Amino acid sequence: MTSLQTAASANPGAAAKISGSEPRIRVKGLGKHYGSLEVFRNIDFDVGEREIVAIVGPSGCGKTTLLRCIDGLIAFDSGEVLVGTERVTEPIAGVAMVFQHFGLFPWKTVYENVAYGLRMAGAPKAEIDRRVPEFIKLVGLAGFEHAYPYQMSGGMQQRCGLARALAVGPNVLLMDEPFAAVDAQTREILQFELLRIWEERPTAMIFVTHSIEEAVLLGHRVIVLKGRPSGIHEIVDIDLPHPRTRDTLREPRFAELRERVWSTLMREAREAEFVLER
Amino acid sequence: MLATHLRRHVPFWISILAGIAIWEIAGRSTSTAFMVPFSETIVQLWQLMQTGEFIAQVLDSAQLFLTGFVLALIVGAPLGLLLARVRVLRVGVEPYIMILYATPMVALIPFILSMMGFGFAPKVLVVFLFAVFPVLYNTVEGARSIKPELIEVAKSYRSSEWSLWREVMLPYTLPYIMTGVRQSIGRALVGMIAAEFFLSSTGLGQLIMGASQNFDTAGVFASIFLIGLIGVGLMRLGLAIEQRFAHWRQ
Repeated sequence: MTSLQTAASANPGAAAKISGSEPRIRVKGLGKHYGSLEVFRNIDFDVGEREIVAIVGPSGCGKTTLLRCIDGLIAFDSGEVLVGTERVTEPIAGVAMVFQHFGLFPWKTVYENVAYGLRMAGAPKAEIDRRVPEFIKLVGLAGFEHAYPYQMSGGMQQRCGLARALAVGPNVLLMDEPFAAVDAQTREILQFELLRIWEERPTAMIFVTHSIEEAVLLGHRVIVLKGRPSGIHEIVDIDLPHPRTRDTLREPRFAELRERVWSTLMREAREAEFVLER
Repeated sequence: MLATHLRRHVPFWISILAGIAIWEIAGRSTSTAFMVPFSETIVQLWQLMQTGEFIAQVLDSAQLFLTGFVLALIVGAPLGLLLARVRVLRVGVEPYIMILYATPMVALIPFILSMMGFGFAPKVLVVFLFAVFPVLYNTVEGARSIKPELIEVAKSYRSSEWSLWREVMLPYTLPYIMTGVRQSIGRALVGMIAAEFFLSSTGLGQLIMGASQNFDTAGVFASIFLIGLIGVGLMRLGLAIEQRFAHWRQ
């Protein structure tokens, strides 16, 4: 483990530079309490306009809460979140979230679910008629326009959730463990689908996951959170070339980076596991 | 296909025929002062239906039923949604709903009579009070069972409060409202007859009372049988509507 740590090149705790573009998202000194329970404190990081930042951390470390604060769904106690030049206090236009629980409306068909975001954004009917089929096709659901969520597998449901988010033309995608509720094979398929779609339409993306492999595969950088109250333990640069494919998984550098994130996380997890609850 | 069809429906029809047979036998072996057989009931019903007066009374009852029932729906469903969404309101109003739901509505009729007299309105009020609570209760329970995740999705997509109601709360709650509607149909029928018995005597209630006072047992049976048939028909209709709106719940 020690040798792996010296082999890894990223320098702990340092926020990596974003090459070439202004940050799309700036998270500054973010802190959140639930009553006397401090969920996280002093979270600082930026996400570039065409960058995927993956967030991993021990379970219960507040990854999902952090993402909801960035989306403006829940209020935070300190710090600020900027998307472009806009301060986030409630959900803002141009930011779309994909949920672990899919969040599809069970009484709506695939078509109606994908149209939902556009309709809420007040898009004219002509635009909805044009964009909805386009994004259903993009996520590979062509032919299932009139299916209801209960008729589809988890993987197909999440494709629909992804299409709904993409259809509003966001410049920020927030992914809340989107593939955690589907089986392993489907998960792998969806990861590469997401990479393919992102190459076609790059956006700023925050991808919360508890899978180290997924974080390393998708992220330009991986933020490792530590236990309660959580903060940023380390930001690891993932210098794997793009576009990433299944071949990426076989590269020695991939294994190296995965081990690096793993060892950081495990140190945290082990400490967290043996802490007595007070 | 035919075999499954038969297996499903044969016991049903055997049971119905047995019921009719027992009714027929019991009717023939007792005094017509207590009971008339099935055949006589049907004949009586047929003859009554030829008279304009009978049809007029049925339509009179239908008018009362529909007015009270539609009012119950118009008040019950929106109020239920509102109570589910606004916690303060729910906490304040819930005890009264529970007390009224548990109270036998018939007991309120003398009070309604002394307040409002013998017109059409007090009768509508009785039907309304019988019918409103199942709709209200099921709507509140349904709307409260909505997954917070779906509300969160709506918020994340910047839904307005009005859109949240129209796109999320109402479609989700509709099957529950329909369950309430189905239960309300039965209760509204009870309310209708009770109102016609105890307030100004009209409609089917008057027919039953009148026939009973004239020892016209066949007339009593024919009227009750008709109400039963209408009730079953309405409940089947309610069930069909409920399933139409609930298909996505599987």
